[in-house]
Amino acid sequence: MPVSRRALVAAAVCLVLPLSACGSGGDDGGSTDASGKVEGDITFQTWNLRANFKPYFEGLIADFEKKYPGTQVKWVDQPAEGYADKISADAAGGTLPDVVNVSPDLVAPLAKAGLALDLDKAAGQYKKEYLEGAWASHRIPGMTGTYAFPWYLNTGPLFYNKSLFKKAGLDPDQPPRTYDELFADALRIARNSDGEVSTLANVPTVEDFGRYGVELMNPAGTAFAFNDTKGVQLLTKYKELYDAKALDPQALTATPESSGKKFLTEAVAMNPGSALDLGNFKKQAPSLYKNIGITDQITSTGHVNMYVMGVMVNAQSKRKPAAVAFAHYVTDAAHQMSFAKQVAIFPSTAGSLDDPYFTKEDGTDETRVRVAAAKSLKNAVNYTPVLFSEQMKTALRNEVAKALQGKESPKEALDNAVKACDTLLRQQG
Amino acid sequence: MLMPSTGPRTRTVRVRRQLPTSPWLFAAPGLLVIGAFILYPFMSTLVNAFTDRRTLIPGEFVGLANFRELLHDDMFWTGLRNSALYVLGVVPALVILPLLLALLVQKNIPGITFFRSAFYTPVVASIVVVGLIWVWLLDERGLVNALLETIGVGRVGFLSDQWLLLMSAMAVTVWKGLGYYMIIYLAALANVPRELHEAAAVDGAGAVRRFFTVTVPAVRSTMALVGALSSVAAFKVFSEVYLMAGPSGGPAGEDTTLVILVQRTGTGLTGRVGYASAISVVVFVVTVALMLLVLRADRRSEV
Amino acid sequence: MTRVRTGELVLRYVLLLAVLALTVGPFLWQLSTSLKGPTEDIYSSPPAFLPQHPTLHNYARVSETIPVWDYAFNSLKVATANVVTNCVGAALAGYALARLRYRGRRVATLAFVLAMLVPVEGIVIAQFTTMRELGLNNTLLGVVLPGCIGAMNVLLMRNAFLNLPYEIEEAAYVDGANVWQRFLRIAVPSVKGTLAVVAIFAFMGAWDDFLWPLIVLSDPSKFTLTIGLNYLHGTFANDERLVAAGTVIAVAPLIALFACLQRYFFRGVGEGAVKG
Repeated sequence: MPVSRRALVAAAVCLVLPLSACGSGGDDGGSTDASGKVEGDITFQTWNLRANFKPYFEGLIADFEKKYPGTQVKWVDQPAEGYADKISADAAGGTLPDVVNVSPDLVAPLAKAGLALDLDKAAGQYKKEYLEGAWASHRIPGMTGTYAFPWYLNTGPLFYNKSLFKKAGLDPDQPPRTYDELFADALRIARNSDGEVSTLANVPTVEDFGRYGVELMNPAGTAFAFNDTKGVQLLTKYKELYDAKALDPQALTATPESSGKKFLTEAVAMNPGSALDLGNFKKQAPSLYKNIGITDQITSTGHVNMYVMGVMVNAQSKRKPAAVAFAHYVTDAAHQMSFAKQVAIFPSTAGSLDDPYFTKEDGTDETRVRVAAAKSLKNAVNYTPVLFSEQMKTALRNEVAKALQGKESPKEALDNAVKACDTLLRQQG
Repeated sequence: MLMPSTGPRTRTVRVRRQLPTSPWLFAAPGLLVIGAFILYPFMSTLVNAFTDRRTLIPGEFVGLANFRELLHDDMFWTGLRNSALYVLGVVPALVILPLLLALLVQKNIPGITFFRSAFYTPVVASIVVVGLIWVWLLDERGLVNALLETIGVGRVGFLSDQWLLLMSAMAVTVWKGLGYYMIIYLAALANVPRELHEAAAVDGAGAVRRFFTVTVPAVRSTMALVGALSSVAAFKVFSEVYLMAGPSGGPAGEDTTLVILVQRTGTGLTGRVGYASAISVVVFVVTVALMLLVLRADRRSEV
Repeated sequence: MTRVRTGELVLRYVLLLAVLALTVGPFLWQLSTSLKGPTEDIYSSPPAFLPQHPTLHNYARVSETIPVWDYAFNSLKVATANVVTNCVGAALAGYALARLRYRGRRVATLAFVLAMLVPVEGIVIAQFTTMRELGLNNTLLGVVLPGCIGAMNVLLMRNAFLNLPYEIEEAAYVDGANVWQRFLRIAVPSVKGTLAVVAIFAFMGAWDDFLWPLIVLSDPSKFTLTIGLNYLHGTFANDERLVAAGTVIAVAPLIALFACLQRYFFRGVGEGAVKG
């Protein structure tokens, strides 16, 4: 070999070290000062919205550019899958767009790395325009500040299949309202169909524990706590359902899509959903649509679960005034309202939910679902902790599966899950 | 084929009249691309394996801590077990079945070119498409279960049971690889002198005996090659299992393979790049070892 | 072996048809699903193999949802570039490894072998960082570059060249041809088959890739077809018919390409992949 090994290794190390040291370094995150003239080119990234809402966003951007001459907004939309990978590559490579559609769990690591602009400082004047709970949903335990504008909210009812209820000898007009009723009905449906019909299609996730009334984290947000008596109680109940086939045997590998499909093909009697699904049922499973029952999300805390989407501003953006202005523009009351009329989502701006669109029924199912959801949103909670990462979700899911399979007791499983999540939390730094 | 050694024949003639710089000119584009986009990033993986780097946080040197953690990580052992099982399950099938298939399409009977091409289609289709197709076929209400129900067997949870899932993924790997290795065998079979078969036939050897006494010895080195290629690919399996068992790796993560674990721990905004790099290094070392093992057996069989 | 007994012939065809059903059947089922209309039950048991009222409606919906032709054109550009660079680069490098003598050849060969063993899932972000330092993120060039000369293809070409009888080149050498002339006029024409293999692999690789184009590209006008397919899957995961139509669109060009090249192809794999 002509080149000595040592020289090769030395060269390799020299080449590699700058790369491994690069990362993103959170300290040079730029100022949080967003005052100044709104001008320049900015990029706005959304998450899987182009396929259905292209005209809406094109119109929105055109209006913004007209309102602020000298600005130009480039819209990029990313597919549902791989979104976190895409953002991580951009964040690590310094190519994050100026304005990014995020969910709270995506904001947390970005904020910790100094990549998300603190809006309490940079755009505190807008805070009062939003629902208090929505604004707070992008706060991160252990940090001061709020790191994204709240955008749309979503929640939905529980759909159930009336004919499957009837077949099991249950009153199709008396859907379960509490967890106890839900579990009793589910067991009965399974018994009366010889295990052919399940009632639930998904294993409990962290938000299910939250809705059941389990304390998910300690008050300081430094450790997880869902292995308390309540948590164990819920998982024990699910194990009973699983053994009786009242929880679908395929639940351990189910995804939201696959469980939706199961409800659609009438293999499962209940499924959480939103007003969006209603149209889907109508189109794809007309026979099911005739038998569909709609009831409220079951909760022991009095608060239903909601999902929150946010719009974050890149702290390293070179056009902060324009980026903040645009992020606010996308999420202001007027635009959230018009977006809500396009699709079954709900605005996070104060007062918007009192609009007649969300309060007046007109007799159709769509409106009924919408009005009920809007009402429940007023005190809804985003149960999923902001710090709950993808890796933690997998850890919890796997431990829950072990408990359902009987490989571990529910207590052991939750203890292990809490331990794993705590370790992951510490490693996040 | 993939050994870095050259056969003795190439040394018989020494070509001296080549421009002094030309060998490097020829190899340069390839080396540059491989170096810049594969080996250089992999070097950073090697370095990262000794740090606690995370996606957005530059790490610090932690020595062998990641490797020590691996020893106590149940998921790592599950991954290692599944990747190893994948090699054991897939490689024998991919060494033997394509050979039988090659024998079937070897003889020039009418329409045979159509069959050869048709058998190759699964190789051409992308793995994502193949995944979508098979998930739909093996769905509880998919074609396979509809057929099973029609003949009275009843529905089978191919995609919900830990072992059935792993086996289904293996079946898809074999299904997709059959045509590829079939072609390799077909070429090797063309080199088997026909007289050998005829002589054996004259001696009264049946088809089965001819297969073992004539065909197998003649294609032994090809079998080793197929074994090497398929075992490396099988150990690095990702897509088939990921698409069929889902990102969390099947029920309770029991179908996680090592590369799925690399992907799961190392990607995303909270990815543990350092730890995932350590797993990557293990995968790399094992594949190099597998390759050397099979090629060594091959070299011995050649002598 | 000229005589084939009738019984054996029948048996052979039965086996051939059985394997045919296994290998091509799943694609046909997908095609059939994609042609079924919204009123048709796709979950029936026993299954309905043929659509009762075949319709192209699902394909129309695919092209309404995503700019499928633009994406296909981008995929085509990326795939074609990948074919050209791989054929040229792999032929050059393969020739250097197989035929030319120079110090460091073994190291060069080892580099390609190691490159083939690297688990790519672990290096994507590092690749992206490199690409950004080169200023090539969000370009189709950036999509092509990392795979533009695949290690596997170089090794395939190396083997094809190794299997060529040396005598042919020797004669040209005696006639005074230099290394470039020998390469272009004698060596390359003799390995056309392997080049066809490399071409198909390169086309497939580029056409099928999802994660890398997704990471590198930000601009939707540059997206490739697999990313588009993902939009479909993400937006209409419940609609098997639509997803089926999308997969058919993704697979059909590859099958067409393969059908055109298959004659060279079958010869090529023989040249390259087997020890001489």
